[in-house]
Amino acid sequence: MSIFSLLAEIQHNRELIWALALKELHIRYKRSALGFLWSLLNPLLMMIILSVVFSTIVRIGVKQYAIFLMSALLPWTFMSQTLAYSAESIVGNGELLKKIHVAKTVFPIAAVLSNVINFLLSMIPLLLLMLALRFPFHWTWFYLPVPFLGLVLFTTGCALFCSAANVFFRDVAHILQVVISAWFYASPVMYSLDFVPDRYRIFFRANPMAYILHGFRNGIYYGTVPSMASIAMSIGVGLVALVLGYAFFRRMQDSFVFYL
Amino acid sequence: MSQRIEFDNVVQRFRIIRERPDTLRELFSKLYRRGEPGFYDFLALKGVSFRIGDGESVGIIGRNGSGKSTLLKIIAGVYKASSGRVSIQGKVAALIELAAGFHPELTGRENILLNGLLMGLKRREIKEREQAIIDFAEVGQFIDSPVKQYSSGMFMRLGFAIAIQVDPEILLMDEILAVGDGPFQKKCLDRIDEFRSQGKTTILVSHDMSAIRAHCRRALLINEGRLIADGDAAEVIAVYEELQAKIIGATDGKAHSAEVLVS
Repeated sequence: MSIFSLLAEIQHNRELIWALALKELHIRYKRSALGFLWSLLNPLLMMIILSVVFSTIVRIGVKQYAIFLMSALLPWTFMSQTLAYSAESIVGNGELLKKIHVAKTVFPIAAVLSNVINFLLSMIPLLLLMLALRFPFHWTWFYLPVPFLGLVLFTTGCALFCSAANVFFRDVAHILQVVISAWFYASPVMYSLDFVPDRYRIFFRANPMAYILHGFRNGIYYGTVPSMASIAMSIGVGLVALVLGYAFFRRMQDSFVFYL
Repeated sequence: MSQRIEFDNVVQRFRIIRERPDTLRELFSKLYRRGEPGFYDFLALKGVSFRIGDGESVGIIGRNGSGKSTLLKIIAGVYKASSGRVSIQGKVAALIELAAGFHPELTGRENILLNGLLMGLKRREIKEREQAIIDFAEVGQFIDSPVKQYSSGMFMRLGFAIAIQVDPEILLMDEILAVGDGPFQKKCLDRIDEFRSQGKTTILVSHDMSAIRAHCRRALLINEGRLIADGDAAEVIAVYEELQAKIIGATDGKAHSAEVLVS
């Protein structure tokens, strides 16, 4: 199974992956006075703006819309940011890959890891917001590791694909931006499937992110656990994406050096 | 003597793209007007076989574009040979400027860790060698400043010092002796000699025949992707000098057709 060879590669290079991920975070905040605090402040400020806008200016018939939105927007942002970073991860390290032999998966994997750290940190401002709004903490928070696993598997698979494809066609990074923003509106982030007429719901069944976001929103906002089928799908789409993404990466990785 | 490096009929093919379709637009326009292929194959190595044992010091010589660096990159694992069998036993390190692995915003110390990990060391091994690397690179108190503030000499010396402390079984060098000033070069050469005396394998690619004579017992002569001489360094150098003399003679004869020879 190819997944086991990926796991073995990650295990073997864990120190390098960790160092690359920390470097990424380090550099992102290096020159700013508040440094690492930005990774907390940024989502917090965004949440405050959104909750003000949607509780006073734009009235949406959803109670505590800020929490409703955040429960899906945070995992979404993780996915979209990781893909933007990882698409450049092989190309950006081109000079290095032309000089030394190193497992090429470490670069997209490190991009995923640095964004996982950021994502987990962004849960802190969410908790603060929930406290401030007196939103109840549901026991279903304990269920969140399941959609989180699906999210990380799915994102890693897509990250491996994008990082490899971008070596051969640099358009991938640009196309990705357009695809991600279209995909955002086609995914239940700002709305839920209840708002969608029955006859269109079929399209959402084909959207892998819909299952994953459903899990997060159920756990955080509704305090329920999704159906078994939905849970299975969220892990299933993750595994499929990972297997396909890694298979593509493995097939192409020996030729990277000739296109960098 | 165990074998460290074995090459069996190794071919390295490069697909040289006339006009590389770097973007989808170019790809589509290429597909649209079919016909002439957009690429041709160039064989950098055309079936090279040799064995290098533990503790050998080997020089690789040949003209520009003969395939020397390609050979070195295959040994380093950067290129995967298009066909043939390559077997490498033991850790390989290349003494090249590793400026590519440095991040300008990180300090010297942080870059040592990152670069060492990239070269396959464990964190613990790097921490053990950190002081030796700092001393060797002669960067002193600058070690905790971002490397973007380093002089170009310090930058190169640090990259070099990390590579030299990797302590591999096989050390690769591609025209290394241009790094740093006289004393630093001397220090590097001493380190390489020390390395050799420990019975490690060293491979040096160079156009400097006196460096090859001084550091290698054996030499491989590569010409147009083929191994044409392999043996005692002095003898192989003699073959190479004869070859060069012949080419210079031919160039003089054909006055202005030097570019024919180049291609």
